[in-house]
Amino acid sequence: MALSLPTHSSPTLIPLPRSPKPTFPTLRRLNYRVCVATAATPLLQVNDLRAKIVESNVEILHGVNLTVNQGEVHAVMGKNGSGKSTFAKVLVGHPDYEVTGGSVVFKGENLLEMEPEERSLAGLFMSFQSPVEIPGVSNDEFLVMAYNARRKKLGLPELGPLECFSYLMEKLQLVNMKPDFLNRNVNEGFSGGERKRNEILQLAVLGADLAILDEIDSGLDVDALRDVANAVNRILTPQNSLLMITHYRRILDLLNPTHVHVMDKGKIARTGDISMVEAIEAEGYETVSA
Amino acid sequence: MNGVAFSPAALSSLIPSSSSSSLSHRKLKPKASSLHSQQAFTSDPYVLELAETLEETIPSTPSTPLPLHNLRNASSQSLLSTPWPSRRDEPFRFTDLSFIRQSRILPLSHPTPVNLLTSHLPHGVYVGPLSALSSSPLLHTVSQFLSHTLPNADLFWSINGIAAPDLTLVYVPEGCHVDSPIHLQYTPPQPTTTHASDTMHLSNPRALVVLEKGARVDIIEEFSSTPGNENECYWSNAAFEAVIGEGAKLSHSYIQTQSFRAAHIKWTSVRQESSSTYELVEVSAGGKLGRHNLHIQQLGPDTVTELSTLHLSVGDQTQDLHSTLVLDHPRGYSRQLHKCIVTHSQGQAVFDGNVKVNRYAQQTDAGQLTRSLLLEPRATVNVKPNLQIVADDVKCSHGAAISDLEESQLLYFQARGIDLKTARRVLTFAFGGEVIDKFPYSSIRDTVRSQIKTLLDPSSC
Repeated sequence: MALSLPTHSSPTLIPLPRSPKPTFPTLRRLNYRVCVATAATPLLQVNDLRAKIVESNVEILHGVNLTVNQGEVHAVMGKNGSGKSTFAKVLVGHPDYEVTGGSVVFKGENLLEMEPEERSLAGLFMSFQSPVEIPGVSNDEFLVMAYNARRKKLGLPELGPLECFSYLMEKLQLVNMKPDFLNRNVNEGFSGGERKRNEILQLAVLGADLAILDEIDSGLDVDALRDVANAVNRILTPQNSLLMITHYRRILDLLNPTHVHVMDKGKIARTGDISMVEAIEAEGYETVSA
Repeated sequence: MNGVAFSPAALSSLIPSSSSSSLSHRKLKPKASSLHSQQAFTSDPYVLELAETLEETIPSTPSTPLPLHNLRNASSQSLLSTPWPSRRDEPFRFTDLSFIRQSRILPLSHPTPVNLLTSHLPHGVYVGPLSALSSSPLLHTVSQFLSHTLPNADLFWSINGIAAPDLTLVYVPEGCHVDSPIHLQYTPPQPTTTHASDTMHLSNPRALVVLEKGARVDIIEEFSSTPGNENECYWSNAAFEAVIGEGAKLSHSYIQTQSFRAAHIKWTSVRQESSSTYELVEVSAGGKLGRHNLHIQQLGPDTVTELSTLHLSVGDQTQDLHSTLVLDHPRGYSRQLHKCIVTHSQGQAVFDGNVKVNRYAQQTDAGQLTRSLLLEPRATVNVKPNLQIVADDVKCSHGAAISDLEESQLLYFQARGIDLKTARRVLTFAFGGEVIDKFPYSSIRDTVRSQIKTLLDPSSC
């Protein structure tokens, strides 16, 4: 699958009605069922992935196995400290972690040999759980830079800030933010909700074959969560895949995962569907991971 | 060439005779002079010779304005008791001056060309050479403001005092607001003939700024290199003095991008009357040595002082800021932000920032922060932020941070597809941008931004 830029809203997308009943299968999900049947090779294939923290030498991931096909929506749940976020960070190449074993193949290529920016350009996106502040670099400057890096990779001419403006404005509306959001420095002085929206704004601008959303729902109020989920649903076409890490059911109801995994002690302990979430909600992780 | 050569006796044998004979200057032999007979308590013959050369080059004549004449006399006196600074002297512990001392110093007798990029001044405002004022009452007013000595003055302050051929005066009368900035552009000395590589032309530009009660002015001081001659060897030894009257406000921008073989030593001495405001924004990136001595003395209560400086060492060069802020009166407010970027393994930055909150300076609010970015192994920074607090009812803070770029920030760029080199460049520039953004004029901000961008990434131009 070729990396594509979401330059225009996909014609298959219909804005979600702001309905109070988000448990409906959306159009995107219906399409997915068509897509999955045609998917030949997995988008992401993780085999026995082991990783440790570089500084303390403590192994966090003890053999993670996971396959994500095109168009699938996966949710990873699990107790605090079970290795969910580490897993996401290892996938994007965070320098604090060192892979000690296993393999990760993304779109047929060895992901672990790629630099973080190459992984991004290959179509992997991760929203940071706590995005870092970048004083002195404005949001629009950063977005234009990242967008142009992507265009360059695709052999397209780079665009000036003015040429990018209307494109950025369109994406800004998607996350329901005001234009002055672009003039502020990246994440500097942002509220928790603004930081999460900013991550989704970046996803909207850059696009991704696989978007990893690391606790995108934590710290969000009900309205912000709905905005974020709507934006994600509108950004991702049936060809895109999603891997979200979460503790809460609410976002799962909004994004309808096809697969739900429970992580425990650095491994995927159990995989099921949305019904497993009810068991977790009712009785905690002990019953499902046992 | 109208300079008079000076070469240290100890080194004269090292200077090839062929080169010295080709010069159109007169080499001085030590001889008895009024200087020698006056004082004998300096043991540094080098300084004596230098002083003599300076006096010969810039003689006081009957046409010399009296304040300048007095300044020269006072400076001669103090110069004689001051040896050439060595690394054993605390203010020069990390600052190597030997390359100046090893050079043949050629003082310039004519005033440093100063371009005044300012037109249309309000009535009563004077901007121009002091010598043009010879008989006006303003000369008398101004003479009382010219200080001869400073509590922490060094050799270079005295050298400027002796050898400044003239001084640029900026006088703003009471209550007058000057809307457009006064832009003093100093161009480096232009040698008329080619000299040996060890020759260093010495210029001593001096400026005096007097703001009467309630006056306001923005001054831009720019020390640049000659286009096409970025590797010239010269020594700018500048002094800037300002007296800010009650309730007056001086906004001072200072940009130093001199040649990478030059020595740039500068004194800025500011006296602030009550309720006055002084804002300094400095960006220094040029010179083999860039040394800024900044001294601010509070003369009354309720003063506001904001100092923002960015020093950049991209080659084998030293950038040095020695600042003192002396608060003697209540309710002073001060903020100092000093940032250094060292991107070369032989680059160095030095910061000694002293804030004195004396006994009567109650309810002072003083903050000082220094942050340094070291981007190469063996790049060096020596910082000594220090607060001396005697008063007991004050709010003071200081902090120092020295680091490489933050990994978490770099990863954030990479995770969005931006390569490491670009990320480092953007983050380095953003670090310095905090100071550049404080220049009060967008034209200055744009110019300095592009200069700093070019220095940080020579491939971009």
